[in-house]
Amino acid sequence: MKKFALWVVLALALGTLVYAQAAKLVIWADDRGAPVLRDVAEKYTQDTGVAVEVVEIAYDQIRGQFITTAPTGQGPDIIVGAHDWVGELAANGLLEPVDFGPKLAEFSAAAVQAFSYGGRNYGVPQNTENIAIIYNKALVPEMPKTWDELLEFAREITDPTKPMYAIVFQNGPDPYHWFPMLSACGGYVFGTDAGGALNPCDVGLANEGALRGAQLFADMIAEGLLPAGVSWDTMRALFFGGNAAMVISGPWLVADTKKAGIDYGIALIPSIRCADGSYGIPKPFIGVRGFMVSAFSQNKVLAFDFLLNYIATTETMLALYELDPRAPAHLPTYEIVKVDPDIAAFGLQGQYGIPMPNIPEMASVWGAWSDAQSLIANGQATPEEALAEAVQKIKAALKCP
Amino acid sequence: MAGRVAIAQGLKLGLLALLDAAAVWAAISLLLRGDLLPLALLAAGALLLNYVVLSRRAYPLRFLLPGLVFLFAMVVYPIGYTVNVSLTNLQTGNLLTKVQVIAQLEGRYYLPPESETFSYWAFRNPQGELRVTLLAEDGCSYLSEGSTLVPVDLTDPRFVRGPDGTVVAFDDFSRLPLAEIYRSLPALERLDLTWEGVHVRLATIREFRTYLRKYEYLRDADAIRDLETGVVYTAREGYFTSPDGVRIEPGFQIYVGFRNYLDVLTNPGIRADFSRVFGWTVAWSFLTVFFSFWVGLVLAYLLNDPYVRGRFFYRSLLIIPYAMPAFISALVWAGLFNTDLGVINRIIGALFGTKVRWLQDPFWARTALIFINVWLTYPYMMIVSLGALQSIPKEMYEAARVDGATGWQRFWTITMPLLWVSVAPLLIGSFAFTFNNFTIIWLVTAGRPAVLGAATPAGATDILISWTYRLAFEGDRGNQLGLASAVSIIIFIIIATISAVNFRFTRALEDVSRGV
Repeated sequence: MKKFALWVVLALALGTLVYAQAAKLVIWADDRGAPVLRDVAEKYTQDTGVAVEVVEIAYDQIRGQFITTAPTGQGPDIIVGAHDWVGELAANGLLEPVDFGPKLAEFSAAAVQAFSYGGRNYGVPQNTENIAIIYNKALVPEMPKTWDELLEFAREITDPTKPMYAIVFQNGPDPYHWFPMLSACGGYVFGTDAGGALNPCDVGLANEGALRGAQLFADMIAEGLLPAGVSWDTMRALFFGGNAAMVISGPWLVADTKKAGIDYGIALIPSIRCADGSYGIPKPFIGVRGFMVSAFSQNKVLAFDFLLNYIATTETMLALYELDPRAPAHLPTYEIVKVDPDIAAFGLQGQYGIPMPNIPEMASVWGAWSDAQSLIANGQATPEEALAEAVQKIKAALKCP
Repeated sequence: MAGRVAIAQGLKLGLLALLDAAAVWAAISLLLRGDLLPLALLAAGALLLNYVVLSRRAYPLRFLLPGLVFLFAMVVYPIGYTVNVSLTNLQTGNLLTKVQVIAQLEGRYYLPPESETFSYWAFRNPQGELRVTLLAEDGCSYLSEGSTLVPVDLTDPRFVRGPDGTVVAFDDFSRLPLAEIYRSLPALERLDLTWEGVHVRLATIREFRTYLRKYEYLRDADAIRDLETGVVYTAREGYFTSPDGVRIEPGFQIYVGFRNYLDVLTNPGIRADFSRVFGWTVAWSFLTVFFSFWVGLVLAYLLNDPYVRGRFFYRSLLIIPYAMPAFISALVWAGLFNTDLGVINRIIGALFGTKVRWLQDPFWARTALIFINVWLTYPYMMIVSLGALQSIPKEMYEAARVDGATGWQRFWTITMPLLWVSVAPLLIGSFAFTFNNFTIIWLVTAGRPAVLGAATPAGATDILISWTYRLAFEGDRGNQLGLASAVSIIIFIIIATISAVNFRFTRALEDVSRGV
């Protein structure tokens, strides 16, 4: 019996020892970051003696897994993710605000703003992305500047039997790629209140500007200039097969475009003529990728030290850029890579972009908005009917007055 | 012989000992983490295992137990868990427990208007005790005493200085090198020193800073007081809420009773769309099962005929849709049915000069879905029917032929009744499965085309489960898990009722077959 008690004590002591282990950072990242982060982690361990474990997880798994594991204390210290996760994660109490200190000046203000929720910053931004026109130079002699010119060009070359289209974008339904048309003349998802915070009960998807873009979309489909129900795969097949002269897409399409041997250019989405006769430049959503720290981390000071002194350096940011070539949010790095014509061209469109709303209320928007797009595309409803109903559904789901 | 028994006995005891060792190890780690419920379950499980293996009386249990364990783990526990969640407000913003939220809020600090920063050195004595000396910007120095900070004169001979003139040791404490500081960060981060009414805490690797506490929990009032503004937030509806309705995020989980069920049953939008969605769900399940059964049966009947050549080849070919992962087939079919670019419409266009608005028109979208699902399900029906056909005794057919029965008569009076008995329960199972076949709907149409005038996001091809998904995950602020669980329980009750009625019906059939 005595011996047994001794064993129990020994086991408990051993367990406590394991429990009170030295500081260690755990980072969850996807394949677009993990290889670089592993190198940085090794350097950090050499400099400080602190072990850093980089766990590679599929991008679409990170958020869900983090929500499940963080409250149990078993989650990571740092995750890599998109700025539009911040609302949900912060509302759930899972994120720790970032105190940039003097490092703040090194980051694009818009990218930092994209990661803010309820007046606090929750992420160290890595890069930004937005959509623009990617066109096949062999098929587009001169890139149209306005949507009217685009329509003229489309009427010239469109031939559904071949098939051949002037412009194709994911629309089956896909509001993300549709938004630039609606925003050009003033459509928006959520308005802002006086303090600059998003107001979920001010939905601008059926205002005059949005309707103008939606009508243009409806007319193009009715005239046969735009195929409806286009998915990601269909869009790729048409563009890479030389059956579409231009697509609205993002930096993620560029690598495969090169591989397909297409002589491509990146340009602004053509401007849309608004009610007052002026031309509105389509405003795409901006997505920002970055690093977030768990509120349940036991090593927050360490995590921020790692992020601000080892990740937020030109060396690391450049390596991350090499792996995932999108516009760096770290300004000194951006200055170095902005000579890349693709980065510059997407950046030009991005100047007019709007950060995708990061408040969790966005969850109510996508479904109703997609339904409206498909009703319009199918000709089952006019843009006015469909979008007004979508706004009404969104407000009902959010229990707005 | 005796030797073999001894070896078997030894092996059994050895395995049991290994399992027990694993259980003890798991129990210790659970105890250390404070997970008492899993610990109790583990202990009960381990004791039961030992009893079953060691007791002679429990011998039959050995064969039942694994099944019972899995029944509990895979069926009973998830149902219980879902029921439990359906009684809570678990959703975006109400994920953490109240204890976690209070701990998090009490751990929030803010910088006072005139915040001070200190550089510091950390010291440790052989007993592992950690103390810090802080150097303020105005040149004053302090030493930590327990959880307070006292002014100290570093020129005191008690402090030993190194060659560069900085303090390297005092009493029995010696200074930590930078690498050690990194390793001790969790401990340093937990230090909460009070000084002149403010908190002094580690801010970065190199600095301490003064902070003020933001919130305080008032146990008696079950409320949180904001120490910066003085506002008191009382616990209401899963949030600490101020008198004028401002909520502190994050909220916490609470039990809300049957509110989620009432929300579903009394929501005018949900009631308006329910009958349409339910009607299509039943039609979708029934038509899928009906057509796939008949297609499968006809093919099985043909392939069961010994005069058909190359039966093995055809059988293998016909099973392919079943062998392919359903989600790949579904995506491929969705592409084939594309109105503008799909192959099916290209063929129809070439033959008839028109195009069918598959996936955009409610009728054609439903037709396409049923077609795809029949394609995916008929091989199963064919396999099942083949087995059942082969079990029908040949003598019956010979007797019928002697009596002069035609082929049709033989099929309807011998084959069908006998087949029905063995296949009917499978059809009911298939019906229940199709009723909840979220994958196909989601991958092919995602419930669309949308219906103009629908009160909730219920599309023309949404079945109950996909509609539930949209209600719970595309509404409000995203994950409404409490509501989703409540709807799942309601759907479970509907399916259980339909299946019960169906089984009653098949039992009647069995009586018929006994009369054959």
